[in-house]
Amino acid sequence: MLLSRVAANLYWAARYLERAEGTARVVREHTSLFMDVPQSLQLSWDPLLAVCGVEDVFEASSAAPTEETIVEFLVSDLDNAGSIRSSVGRARENLRSAREAFPASAWVVVNDLYLYVESHVAEGVHRRSRDRFLASVITEHQRLLGVMASMMTRDDAYTMLRLGRHVERADMTSRVLDVRAGQLLSRRAAATELYDDLQWMSMLRSLSAAQMYQRQSLLDGGSQGPIGFVLHQEAFPRSVRYCLGAARQSAAHLPNPEMTVAACDRALDLVNNIRLTSLDAAALHWTSDQMQLAIATIHNAISTSYFPASSA
Amino acid sequence: MTMAELETLTGSWDELLFADGTPRPAAAALIVQLQGMGTAELQERQNLAELDILGMGITFTVYSDGRGTDRAWPFDIIPRIIEAAEWRRIEAGLVQRLGALNRFIDDLYHDRNVIKDGIVPASIVESSPNYRPECAGVSPRFGVWAHICGTDLVRGGDGTVFVLEDNLRVPSGVSYMLQNRAISKRAFADVFREQSILPVDDYPMRLRRLLLSLAPDERAGRPPTIAVLTPGVFNSAYFEHVFLAQAMGAALVEGADLYVDRQDRLLMRTIGGPEPVDVIYRRVDDAFLDPEVFRADSMLGVPGLMRAWRAGNVAIANAPGAGVADDKVVYSWVPDLIRYYLNEEPILANVPTYRCGDPDELAFVMANAHELVLKPANESGGYGITVGNRVTSEQLATAVATVQAEPRNWIAQPIVALSTAPTLCDGRIAPRHLDLRPFVLSGEDTYVTTGGLTRVALVEGSLIVNSSQGGGSKDTWVVEVA
Repeated sequence: MLLSRVAANLYWAARYLERAEGTARVVREHTSLFMDVPQSLQLSWDPLLAVCGVEDVFEASSAAPTEETIVEFLVSDLDNAGSIRSSVGRARENLRSAREAFPASAWVVVNDLYLYVESHVAEGVHRRSRDRFLASVITEHQRLLGVMASMMTRDDAYTMLRLGRHVERADMTSRVLDVRAGQLLSRRAAATELYDDLQWMSMLRSLSAAQMYQRQSLLDGGSQGPIGFVLHQEAFPRSVRYCLGAARQSAAHLPNPEMTVAACDRALDLVNNIRLTSLDAAALHWTSDQMQLAIATIHNAISTSYFPASSA
Repeated sequence: MTMAELETLTGSWDELLFADGTPRPAAAALIVQLQGMGTAELQERQNLAELDILGMGITFTVYSDGRGTDRAWPFDIIPRIIEAAEWRRIEAGLVQRLGALNRFIDDLYHDRNVIKDGIVPASIVESSPNYRPECAGVSPRFGVWAHICGTDLVRGGDGTVFVLEDNLRVPSGVSYMLQNRAISKRAFADVFREQSILPVDDYPMRLRRLLLSLAPDERAGRPPTIAVLTPGVFNSAYFEHVFLAQAMGAALVEGADLYVDRQDRLLMRTIGGPEPVDVIYRRVDDAFLDPEVFRADSMLGVPGLMRAWRAGNVAIANAPGAGVADDKVVYSWVPDLIRYYLNEEPILANVPTYRCGDPDELAFVMANAHELVLKPANESGGYGITVGNRVTSEQLATAVATVQAEPRNWIAQPIVALSTAPTLCDGRIAPRHLDLRPFVLSGEDTYVTTGGLTRVALVEGSLIVNSSQGGGSKDTWVVEVA
């Protein structure tokens, strides 16, 4: 038995938390990459806004796009609903009124994460302390997932959390691919090729996929390639295919699953049919758009099937 | 810390110490251990306890500027101790009191013998804002209306324990009682090993058993479902609503999660469709429970809930209308009610109470207001109270004028010099006034928590213990003395 309102709270909380972690990973990796590439490459911070899907909101804030303003916007700005601080705060608010549905010890972790972010958020902006802050956000969220995974009954509440997490993760992975891989596929000047490997690895790292990719590429002789790995590698838990598969599997456990399962199947078909050999920047961008539409359709199916009318 | 540093307050009974500063028998072991520790270590343990409270997210909500703010639960590390033999007497007094109160409420909504027999005037009952004529004729199981009661006890200067008030509507604090014990066990792990302190942890299971025992029989073979109805995250006791729902495994529902269908059944909206609810532990006041019957503008309640209840399709704890016995004017009759219904002498005394609705008593109150506490009959949370000797003469005159305007809604009581206990304040130990709220569960039988929630006024000399007004709390130990 799961109340519709609580289902919505859990699903949204899982999305917000996954988003906070995803944002922490991409900001962290971009900061690291920035220190490695020469200034002549003119690496900019703007792509971070695109990865997080908040270019419009940032433009509306009429701030000049510098490292400081963009990182602050993504990490601590409460006007940005997707900033780490906003996401963690909203996740906590959602979980606050769903607490009977998950272990009390998980609430302690959520509370720790919230208190940490509220008191240390300024450190996430300054470059010198940024890495430590972002690493803590990631670790605390992982700790929460650990508590949930090891202590929570596999009931509808758990399934809602899992569903939210994988929908958000698939969305994030598709956006990272679109922006980061798109840049690499379109830029083919000799001066930058030197840094291509570095950037491909950076893209993988911002999805925490680098080490697992390296292991896999030794086994298959690199035939899958980095884009293939984060799109199609079904054994890797952050690939789009894996996330959509997990969402489908979760949805199948719920009552009235037809609409959500069908939406997951359509998204999986789309991803499975992407042909990597002919992929250029334009095709990748078009494909990513299609993926994001398919993911939005899954979200709408979940919302229509399970949430109270007012929160849909 | 030495013995000499443990002060008591002249005229107030100290719960841990005799007037000369030596420990009472039940507190002797604790005092020895406190002395071994010294104030610095005690303060360190206090600081750690406060970190625990923050980390465990134990909060309550205070209202200011129209919005709620979460505050960490204020806790003093030095426990309040009650000797087990004395506690058994108090427990028997509470069982007796709730027995009479439930008989009274049931009588009021049925035959009204208590009025016919001239014990309580009809005008008092009918003018109580918590009397609900809509409840007449309903027969909750076991004849019990006030299933959960928080009774406030205070101790006067001579050591007498008085009942200050009965909270029969939606009393809160029991989760803090349980959390205080959890914190105190961490802070004093070494002390607990050395003493026989009676446990308090079985409350949620007792509450669950009580709620399940109220479920209607017509369920077509389903196991009964129970739900805690909360006004939502902005309620000052939301932490407690969550805590109890978690501890009982019950759903925590808000009004919008529920609806009543055409067959007067109460249903909750789940992801698998509507599911029946058999028992509601409601933490929403009567007035907001059902906009069809009570306040039409209520967004917190469930339209039709009263229909479902009257049809016997759902049990509600506490039953609507139970608050009539919570009125502080009605309170003044409780000793008479005990004699009337149980034919017994009250074990626990009331604080002497003047009914301002009586012209003679009102005249006395007006003449002696500076030595009295003036209390509104139907407020809670310590709001609206004037302590006669703690206010300016202008403030007192204003308060008296308010009483005169609506005398039925006011009572007056002598100022009880609340008992004290040593409390850690700004790095030193000083006596602070306190009260005690035990919780009583009534169903087929009656259960009283072991001890209760001790609330302490942290401000020197203050008698106001409510957490919404600067009060703190202590763990309460009922200790067997060998």
